[in-house]
Amino acid sequence: MFVLQRSGGGKATSSPAENYQLARRRTLQVVVSSLLTECGFESAEKAAVESLTEMIQSYISEVGRCAKAYCEHTARITPTLSDTVVTLIEMGFNVNTLPVYAKRSQRMVITAPPVTNAPVIPKALIAGQKRTHPSHIPSHFPEFPDPHTYIKTPTFREPVSDYQVVREKAASQRRDVERALTRFMAKTGETQSLFKDDITAFPLIAARPSSIPYLSALLPSELELQTLEETDSSEQDDQTDSENTPGNNLNDDPGADKENSMLPPGGVVPSVKASEENMIDNPYLRPVKKPKVRRKK
Amino acid sequence: MNRKKDKGFESPRPFKLTHQVVCINNINFQRKSVIGFVELTIFPTVVNLNRIKLNSKQCRIYRVRVNDLEAPFIYNDPTLEVCHHESKQRNLNYFSSAYTAAVSAVDPDAGHGELVIKVPSELWKQGDEMNVLKVYIEFSLDQPKGGLHFVVPDVEGSMAERGAHVFSFGYQNSTRFWFPCVDSYSELCTWKLEFTVDASMVAVSCGDLVETVYTHDMRKKTFHYVLPIPTAASNISLSVGPFEILVDPYMHEVTHFCLPQLLPLLKHSMSYLHEIFEFYEEILTCRYPYSCFKTVFVDEAYVQVSSYASMSIFSTNLLHSAMIIDQTPLTRQCLAQALAQQFFGCFISRMSWADEWVLKGISGYIYGLYLKKTFGVNQYRHWIKEELDKMVEYELKMGGLPVSSNGHLTCPTPHLHFSIKHPHTLSWKYYKMFQCKAHLVMRLIENRISMEFMLQVFNKLLSLASTASSQKYQSHMWSQMLVSTHSFLKSISNVSGKDIGPLIKQWVDQSAVVKFFGSFAFNRKRNVLELEIRQDYTSSGTQKYVGPIKVTVQELDGSFNHTLQIEENSLKHDIPCHSKSRRNKKKKIPLMNGEEVDMDLSAMDADSPLLWIRIDPDMSILRKVEFEQADFMWQYQLRYERDVVAQEESILALEKFPTPASRLALTDILEQDQCFYKVRQGACFCLAKIANSMMSTWTGPPAMKSLFTRMFCCKSCPNIVKTNTFISFQSYFLQKTMPVAMAQLRDIQNLCPKDVLNFILDLIKYNDNRKNKFSDNYYRAELIDALTNSLTPAISISNEVRTVDNLNGDVRLILEEITRSLNMEKLLPSYRNTITVSCLRAIRMLQKNGHIPSDPSLFKSYAEYGHFVDVRVAALEAVVDYTRVDRSSVELQWLLNMVQNDPAHYIRHKILSMLGKNPPFTKAAESPLCNEALVDQLWKLMNSGTSHDWRLRCDAVNLYYTLFGLTRPSCLPLPELGLVLNLKEKKAVLNPTIKPEQGPDTTEMTGITMGGLITMETVSSVSMSSGVAPPPQGLKRKLDSVVGPLGSSSPEPGQVLQEEDTSKKFKIRVRISSAEDEIDMESPHDSQAFIHHHLNILERPSTPGKEPPAVDQAVLSLPVTPLPSSFGKESTSSSKHSGDHHHHHHHHEHKKKKKKKHKHKHKHKHESKDKERDSHAFSNSPASGRSVRSPSMSD
Repeated sequence: MFVLQRSGGGKATSSPAENYQLARRRTLQVVVSSLLTECGFESAEKAAVESLTEMIQSYISEVGRCAKAYCEHTARITPTLSDTVVTLIEMGFNVNTLPVYAKRSQRMVITAPPVTNAPVIPKALIAGQKRTHPSHIPSHFPEFPDPHTYIKTPTFREPVSDYQVVREKAASQRRDVERALTRFMAKTGETQSLFKDDITAFPLIAARPSSIPYLSALLPSELELQTLEETDSSEQDDQTDSENTPGNNLNDDPGADKENSMLPPGGVVPSVKASEENMIDNPYLRPVKKPKVRRKK
Repeated sequence: MNRKKDKGFESPRPFKLTHQVVCINNINFQRKSVIGFVELTIFPTVVNLNRIKLNSKQCRIYRVRVNDLEAPFIYNDPTLEVCHHESKQRNLNYFSSAYTAAVSAVDPDAGHGELVIKVPSELWKQGDEMNVLKVYIEFSLDQPKGGLHFVVPDVEGSMAERGAHVFSFGYQNSTRFWFPCVDSYSELCTWKLEFTVDASMVAVSCGDLVETVYTHDMRKKTFHYVLPIPTAASNISLSVGPFEILVDPYMHEVTHFCLPQLLPLLKHSMSYLHEIFEFYEEILTCRYPYSCFKTVFVDEAYVQVSSYASMSIFSTNLLHSAMIIDQTPLTRQCLAQALAQQFFGCFISRMSWADEWVLKGISGYIYGLYLKKTFGVNQYRHWIKEELDKMVEYELKMGGLPVSSNGHLTCPTPHLHFSIKHPHTLSWKYYKMFQCKAHLVMRLIENRISMEFMLQVFNKLLSLASTASSQKYQSHMWSQMLVSTHSFLKSISNVSGKDIGPLIKQWVDQSAVVKFFGSFAFNRKRNVLELEIRQDYTSSGTQKYVGPIKVTVQELDGSFNHTLQIEENSLKHDIPCHSKSRRNKKKKIPLMNGEEVDMDLSAMDADSPLLWIRIDPDMSILRKVEFEQADFMWQYQLRYERDVVAQEESILALEKFPTPASRLALTDILEQDQCFYKVRQGACFCLAKIANSMMSTWTGPPAMKSLFTRMFCCKSCPNIVKTNTFISFQSYFLQKTMPVAMAQLRDIQNLCPKDVLNFILDLIKYNDNRKNKFSDNYYRAELIDALTNSLTPAISISNEVRTVDNLNGDVRLILEEITRSLNMEKLLPSYRNTITVSCLRAIRMLQKNGHIPSDPSLFKSYAEYGHFVDVRVAALEAVVDYTRVDRSSVELQWLLNMVQNDPAHYIRHKILSMLGKNPPFTKAAESPLCNEALVDQLWKLMNSGTSHDWRLRCDAVNLYYTLFGLTRPSCLPLPELGLVLNLKEKKAVLNPTIKPEQGPDTTEMTGITMGGLITMETVSSVSMSSGVAPPPQGLKRKLDSVVGPLGSSSPEPGQVLQEEDTSKKFKIRVRISSAEDEIDMESPHDSQAFIHHHLNILERPSTPGKEPPAVDQAVLSLPVTPLPSSFGKESTSSSKHSGDHHHHHHHHEHKKKKKKKHKHKHKHKHESKDKERDSHAFSNSPASGRSVRSPSMSD
């Protein structure tokens, strides 16, 4: 509601609202100037006056805001005097000095600000019927806000659940994407053509040899891997099975040196037993030996 | 000096090899070179061992030492260049015999070799004591063209980061390409192998890795391998690369290696290897013979699977992830094959090439048992049928496929354009069929002696071998690790007590298959089935079968087996029927497998109780059966016979019966879940064919459409296919096949029905694989294949150029799909780029049918090195096809250029075999492509350009044969010594070996008249002189070329050597280390061997040597031919060739005035060309620059 109001106000009722605010501001400026005169200044720079005006406006606004907050805290809608007093005390102002200050002799009387039209509160967007208070809520309580702020408002259409249409749509969407993509690739890169008269008719992305052609031809593409991950959860058991191997390889390394020295010339026959202890003795996993230091001169 | 004569193995060498060290100290990936040495420990078996022959090809040999003494040696490889007088000869017969001679001259199985080392005379005396000799050879290889293959990707980084690797390869015994050895499967020894490689690399080789040691600078490491089991050099291999290592989680002695980044695939692909191990060990009741096993996956592999002692090298393209369905069984099959060969092929080796079939047979047979166990009996029987059909087709086409060339000269092979005496002279296709036949024969033996005995025999062979292998240096025991046909048969008779000699004689020694034609009649009175089985044993590739044959008859009361005797003259066989015909009784009908089913019998003949009949249902004869029975019988057979082979046969038969009943039977099979998926796939294609034949009477939607909709489309919206899950593989395969078959449907205009095309396009459009755990790449590829199948020739108005504007609407849609798919492949490549492959095929089809302009440039770019191999092959196939259709010599040159220069051996081989399959022209037809330059080019290719790869050379020979035939190509001018004979009405006299080849020539030259002209070759002079005492010049030259530099029986060594140098162009490298050493080239031992060879060659009937008798006959029967004079001239003055030539024509003109005009043209052309050729003869020869003579030779 807030947003709507502001944007609405900004556009339609800009001049009356501005006039109103300008008038207040001018009054404040007069106040600042008179206070300065009262303090013995003869003149002041515009910027200084401006700053002081800003300060005083802030101060007053803050007092107003706080007083309102106190009043709302006690479930009322209009601030009372005590709200203001508490506020002033809170802001570190000694309230007792106020009567004396108000009655000081050299004070200047300022004319009331010119009467301007109070800004028209723009009409809120009305969606649906505003709810009236139920019987157990006293009527002085604030009204319900506009229903669209708390009731869901359907802003989309019912999705099509017809299978045929969905498939149709998915198929044509994919086809469009593919066609657009391949056309784009064909436009931006080298192409080959099937026709001599119209090279652009059925552009084929030019065949480009790769240095290691088997990699792209054998390895599944990322897209395929993705689908595999999504669809496949049952086969994970298998995967963990085979993934044991590298782990074992690592475990194997420390013991391998000993194995090496004792290895019979016959080969890797003992590996069968070794496997029982979760140790793979495979000659290809053994560490590479350091060359023997030559003893000869 | 083999005392164990009873073992039947006699070493052809005068020494026995016991141990060999191979040490490769340096492998340079940048320069692609290898440096190392070998040391062979040999025991002489003769008293004066003065020379040692070893095998070595393309190695540069620096020094040879025998027991620390420098030894002189000669390095001579006659296979580098096969024919030397190549300026004259262009006929394949001549090449084939020369090539066989060259291969024999260095054949290790005959004790020969390229490298002849003279044992220093100081060591001769030791011969008495039979002391050990250690032969030490230092060698290097620089950019080897064969034997070792370097793969060095052209990217940034160190060699390891680039994934550079090297591996050994070869076809049969090819180890000599990368180190000197005795490259025979029968020479076993123990091994020590050392490889020093970069620290970031791994060297994988045969045997046990004993240790790995850093070099002193810590930048390299040395892998030390020991192979204590006696192994043939041909079974030694090596691969070096930055491999990722995976220790098999189930068997820690098994290690897998793959190229960087592929480890996840390796893990998945190898996860079932242990099951194969377990299976083989269980059936053979024998542990895996080696203490470890290694699998290495390499790029640009020569073949998919190659097995070596304790390791196998595979193509990296066999690896796959868990998402791939189609590749999984294929990879498993490759693993199973490799492992079967570990037992039979690596551990057990063969005695000679003639025994190869036993090893291939056993390994193929136990592989078959694995197939049966893992993939089921259906798959197994389907495979057997497939192999049998393939083999039979090849035999009928080629006219026989002898499996054992066991010196059975009774079985000559004049019909083949290659010799089968050596593995290295065989055509690749032949070798494949050879393996196929070998395992089929093993299966026949199993049928005879039972599987139990069969496995006992294998076990016996293995246990004998493993006992022998553990014997140290008892080298005569090691021969028990060799298997021969003889020892195998002996084991069989020992174990089973049965003599399978006749079986072996019929199927192994003898080539050809049996061709049966069967038909029957039912005699109602006698209630007897009168079966007639005829044989065709006259056409080529067939033989006559005599013996038992099984016939299965399905009657109403059950299925009955009958064994009939096929005898000489009995065609008809009476088989009593068990059941009376009856129709009213409702009773279940028992099937062969005991199952009882209800059948609707309304279709059958009311009088006959026969449902269907099968001849030789178990495929226990290598045969082709064509059986005639009524369509309803085939339909019953398809529906109710449970054997997949029977079902497939009936599907094939039903193609000839396009009736609604056939349609129904096929549809029912398609719908049956229990039916084997390959049968259902077959039914799809048959249904498409039937639908096309029934076009006018077909009712309802296009065939299979409603079926597909019911099976695979959504219930609510039948035009949309379900999202893919592929959980049931059977339905997956069916789902893939049906659209492809449907696309073969045609309407009355012979176009693919609009319905079907839209249906397929919808399948592509709605294909959704997001929720699938399997990849759909094969499915999508087949959908593109379906689009390809739907294409029909464009209607073209005159020869207008194809443009975008006049593109047919349907074709536009198809093209759009293809373009999009092909482009998407660049962004999201599919596994093995299957979709690209299908797209390329589709584009070629569009071109061929005239929808888009025919243009090879797209394919050429895809065929370049750097694309995935499947893509390259598909692209090359399209280029080959383009070459044929457009008769483009530019493309043909481009292809041949690639054959010579492509880095990948497989691609080279593939190009030649594809050219052979889809030749740009054949010997039977004229073509502008067929010209002298092409002949020269191909000749050069097979003569010297392919000496580094046996397989490639044989491919080139095959292509030459396909293009030009056995005799001199017709596009060449007549040879100078050629005879043109008029054989009017004497065709029957012709030697059958040349008759078929002569066909095109004759018809071309004589037109409709009955006369025939025969072009005889230079060779005739040789044969003519065979009876004459002083050999004419021609023979002498030929002799020399066959005999080679060593075959100098002439008394003046210097002179002979000189002559060799200038005319023979053999590559000779002689190094004499010490001045006192003189090389004695004139050892009688050698020249005798060579003369022996030469005689052998002359005796070969298929060689030109045998042709003369035919000529003589022809000559005698023609009284007016001017032959005698020309003959005389030839034999006396061979130098006046051109004169002779002229002479002939002159005479000829006289005789045949009718065709004077025609002849005249010919003559002129020939003469002018001949002159040209004569002047260029020597400079043109590729050999002229080849003669390398070591400077030390003249010392």
